[in-house]
Amino acid sequence: MLLLQQIANGLMLGSVYVTVAVAFTLTISILNFLNFTIPTLFMLAGMVGWSLAFWGLPFGISGPLPWPLALAGGVVVAIVASLIVERFTFRYLKTRYGDSTEHAIPLVSSLGFLLILENLVRIEHGSDAQRFPGPSADLTLSLAGIHLRVPQVVSLAVVVLLVLGLVWMMKSSRIGRMLRAIAENPDAAGILGIETRRVVPVVFMLTGMLCGLAGALFAVNYGEVSPQMGEDIGSKAIAGMVVGGLGSLWGAVAGGVIIGLIEMMTIHWAGADTVQATVWGALLITLLIRPQGLFGHHAIGKGKL
Amino acid sequence: MSEAWLETEALDVTYGRTHAVRGVSLTVGEGEIVAVLGANGAGKTSLLRALQGAVKPSGGTIRFMGRDLTNAGSAERVRSGMMLVPEGRQIFVSMTVHENLLMGGHLRRDQSAVEKDIKAVYERFPNLAERRDMKATVLSGGEQQMLAVGRALIGRPKLMMLDEPSLGLSPLFVEKLFSLIQELNGEGLSILLVEQNTHMALEIASRAYVLELGRVTLQGAAADLAADAALAEAYLGAEPA
Ligand SMILES: Nc1ncnc2c1ncn2[C@@H]1O[C@H](COP(=O)(O)OP(=O)(O)OP(=O)(O)O)[C@@H](O)[C@H]1O
Ligand SMILES: [Mg+2]
Repeated sequence: MLLLQQIANGLMLGSVYVTVAVAFTLTISILNFLNFTIPTLFMLAGMVGWSLAFWGLPFGISGPLPWPLALAGGVVVAIVASLIVERFTFRYLKTRYGDSTEHAIPLVSSLGFLLILENLVRIEHGSDAQRFPGPSADLTLSLAGIHLRVPQVVSLAVVVLLVLGLVWMMKSSRIGRMLRAIAENPDAAGILGIETRRVVPVVFMLTGMLCGLAGALFAVNYGEVSPQMGEDIGSKAIAGMVVGGLGSLWGAVAGGVIIGLIEMMTIHWAGADTVQATVWGALLITLLIRPQGLFGHHAIGKGKL
Repeated sequence: MSEAWLETEALDVTYGRTHAVRGVSLTVGEGEIVAVLGANGAGKTSLLRALQGAVKPSGGTIRFMGRDLTNAGSAERVRSGMMLVPEGRQIFVSMTVHENLLMGGHLRRDQSAVEKDIKAVYERFPNLAERRDMKATVLSGGEQQMLAVGRALIGRPKLMMLDEPSLGLSPLFVEKLFSLIQELNGEGLSILLVEQNTHMALEIASRAYVLELGRVTLQGAAADLAADAALAEAYLGAEPA
């Protein structure tokens, strides 16, 4: 019974990792770079959501907003921020999409955005953790002796739907085909009239949306946000992505869940201090035994979604 | 000759210090097959890529169907009826045959018309129909070329530009390919054909241009060029055609 309860908790935590890992995976498999702003977007959604729920809109436009509205605002801000990052990391610096020699440019400039955004939030709100006034934690569902908090169950359902929708989009929709075409061969895509500059913002929009939702789910489920909340989630999501297999959407899903489960089991049976050891240990073992990850391909990079 | 569909004037393409295309002026008329010949590095691919908008020309103008497309993006050129079948085919190997064909029609609004055109391509190339849901990697070189042509056809072009389509194909497939080009031309498609297979290209073309180091050094009726001693010396003799 205890084990089942830990599995349930692990799944909840894992679903946050899954969402962030999927965001990393999208950028890696389509644009071939590691977007460092992802953890920051996650944090931004949480902090903006908190600020709207606690203070309300800026300049005294409104008082505190109800929490669902506040979180929706956080998600919108994350999407807008992601599009701004696209504008300045990719376009302004005239990166040629898919050019393997120029990865450093988006990589480094996204790192720059991470620092800027994180410090802006610190200046505005300080670095303390803040309590998020979400739904009551007492709302629980008991199922065969396992206690599930209703917000957690809803979160899990949201993540499952999100991932399924994303997989469908990449596989079967027109925009998904266009993204895959750019991922595999940007030059051939261009010749057929696919306008990279109009399609690539879609990736950043999705990234902002995924990170924003993950931040919102985190705020609701753990009742606490802070300017540092992205750091731990970011590294765990990357660990999950590598365990699952770089560049594979299902890999990101599996990896995120596995890391969540490992973390919960470790906390329960060995204490929170051991989490870093077990998570990174799992990563190391994966790299030793199956370097391409569970669902990964041998060649990392283009057209592998 | 009726008024030209495609018309370039003094087109220049440069990459850094490499001057790949120098002052090329050419025309392709309605229903014509025009060949562009030239040795390796003569600038043929650069010319076609500039025409399709994949590289920005550093000088000159491009007009198609009476519109100035010099500064237009590839999408606008595709919409106005230009389609390039690129060098090395460039099909999407991570996609299925069917998805590759869909990519040719991604700018078109009417998806049921696209599906109808895809059906017509399957009738033309039964090999593709049999493999429609397989990854394009399973295709042979010749089938990949058919797929590249089919993909371009789904864009409903008025002018199809082909960059060395016969490269790497078996003699049997080369024959098939050239009769396909004639067949498409018979259906009203204008063709701009870049080839190193000079003999066969001159056989099906009505006119031809010869590029040397980016410049047009010879042009005229295909039949005259086929008989031209200078060309014979420069290319026909040198190439094991
Ligand atoms: N992307 C590029 N960057 C720099 N130089 C290039 C580039 N593409 C082509 N060139 C140079 O431009 C010149 C013309 O090349 P191009 O590919 O247009 O010739 P081509 O006639 O198509 O040759 P081939 O018959 O080998 O295909 C060559 O000197 C080539 O090295
Ligand atoms: Mg060439």
